[in-house]
Amino acid sequence: MILMIVRVVSGIPGLDELTSSEDELGLGLGGIPENTITLVYGPPGVGKSIFCHQFAYYGLKQDEPCLYLTTDENLQELQEDKTNFGDDLKKYMESELFYVVDAASDIEEELESSDIYHISSVKNPTDILIKVSQGANSIKQKNPRFRAVIDSITSILESNNEMLIVRVLKTYILRIKEAGGTAVINYTERSADLRTEILIKSMVDNIVKLNGNEIVIEAMRGMGIKNKSYEITEKGIIVE
Amino acid sequence: MNSIESGISGLDEISSSVGSKDGVIQENSATLVYGPPKVGKSILCNQFTYHGLNLDEPCLYLTTDQSMHELQQNMMDFEWFLQNPIEKELLYVIDTLSPLSGEEINTTTTYKVSKINDPTDLMVKVGIGTRFVFKKSNKFRSVLDSLTTPFAFNPEALVIRFLKAYIRRLKEAGATVLVVYTEGVVDEKTEKILKSLMDNVIMMDGEYLTFRSTTGLVGTAEYNITNKGIFLEKGKTL
Repeated sequence: MILMIVRVVSGIPGLDELTSSEDELGLGLGGIPENTITLVYGPPGVGKSIFCHQFAYYGLKQDEPCLYLTTDENLQELQEDKTNFGDDLKKYMESELFYVVDAASDIEEELESSDIYHISSVKNPTDILIKVSQGANSIKQKNPRFRAVIDSITSILESNNEMLIVRVLKTYILRIKEAGGTAVINYTERSADLRTEILIKSMVDNIVKLNGNEIVIEAMRGMGIKNKSYEITEKGIIVE
Repeated sequence: MNSIESGISGLDEISSSVGSKDGVIQENSATLVYGPPKVGKSILCNQFTYHGLNLDEPCLYLTTDQSMHELQQNMMDFEWFLQNPIEKELLYVIDTLSPLSGEEINTTTTYKVSKINDPTDLMVKVGIGTRFVFKKSNKFRSVLDSLTTPFAFNPEALVIRFLKAYIRRLKEAGATVLVVYTEGVVDEKTEKILKSLMDNVIMMDGEYLTFRSTTGLVGTAEYNITNKGIFLEKGKTL
């Protein structure tokens, strides 16, 4: 077990215990290795988006900014999320901690872009990349570390040439890491070609699979495969 | 044929255990390291690189999947520190990824950048790098980690053409070459060509490492990834 790895608290109750190191000294605290990229994947409806919300929300509560790319739920829908995450978003946007690239809104909608709210479209991955990069740049001016979320890459893959998205994703990953971010990317299993799926898995650092009953850490820096059952409650995902 | 110390604990021992004088990786050969994502292919390469650097064997390292920054970080996880070899100009890095970050990059005598979607420019840089490293020592290593990202950014045939030129150039100069590839990201046909260009193949699947060397040696062993790198259990030849 490697002790040098700095980790961030995932925000998913029970998950960090699963990732803590088992050395005799008990020095290794669990969590997601800082400044890495985690792929959260699995079939539809198993809680992947909830995972993203919890990850972002935990950071925000610690005053860690979050760069959130949303493709399935627009900002308004995010705010209607039943957990506290939705209720608090407005507050975190006012304090400029929550930076949103919204690729789920119709262009006609009335919300206006601001410093921390940008409208884009899943059909325009180049524009998404530009806005996300600007976001990462602006966040890193003030913060050495932050969280980033893509919820989800699935819709972007569906609307574009998959290889183009692989290239965009590779660039995104590089920029987030250079800026000091720790990211979670949501992907629906088998929604892209097998080849694309392998490429995506090869680009990330950690792979977490949710299958509805079990959470499986298929790969994570400094540890082997681990799994545990989980359930989705009104407070989000809880790993037993 | 002389073999070189791979630095992978247990790998060289497999061949010596059957009384073979040939190791798994012979000097001046090309080896493909392949397997699914996240099984330790890059770790194996880095271990191979670092072991060579400790023997004062220089290394020409093409990093096409990770930026130099990430490479150093990943090496540091295993306490493989590059500061000293960099100062001694033993490590020569060509980084095709960092330019994607859009940041300004400071190159040095032994740190160059190229573009991920421009194999012609990369080949020119490889030529210059090879001359530099060769002058340091005619016994040196060369690592390409990996073909995976180049395949995502270029037509497959172009990557294969680059790979042929790269291997020819490096072997001419006397290098021992390691090339990484993530299984399943190109056509079966391309994958076959890829393997045919190599002298040895090392396949890793997360549990077993299996190798076939040009000397006809075939072997397999279970492996573990520890904080010191990859460790092979007692393996056997097939």
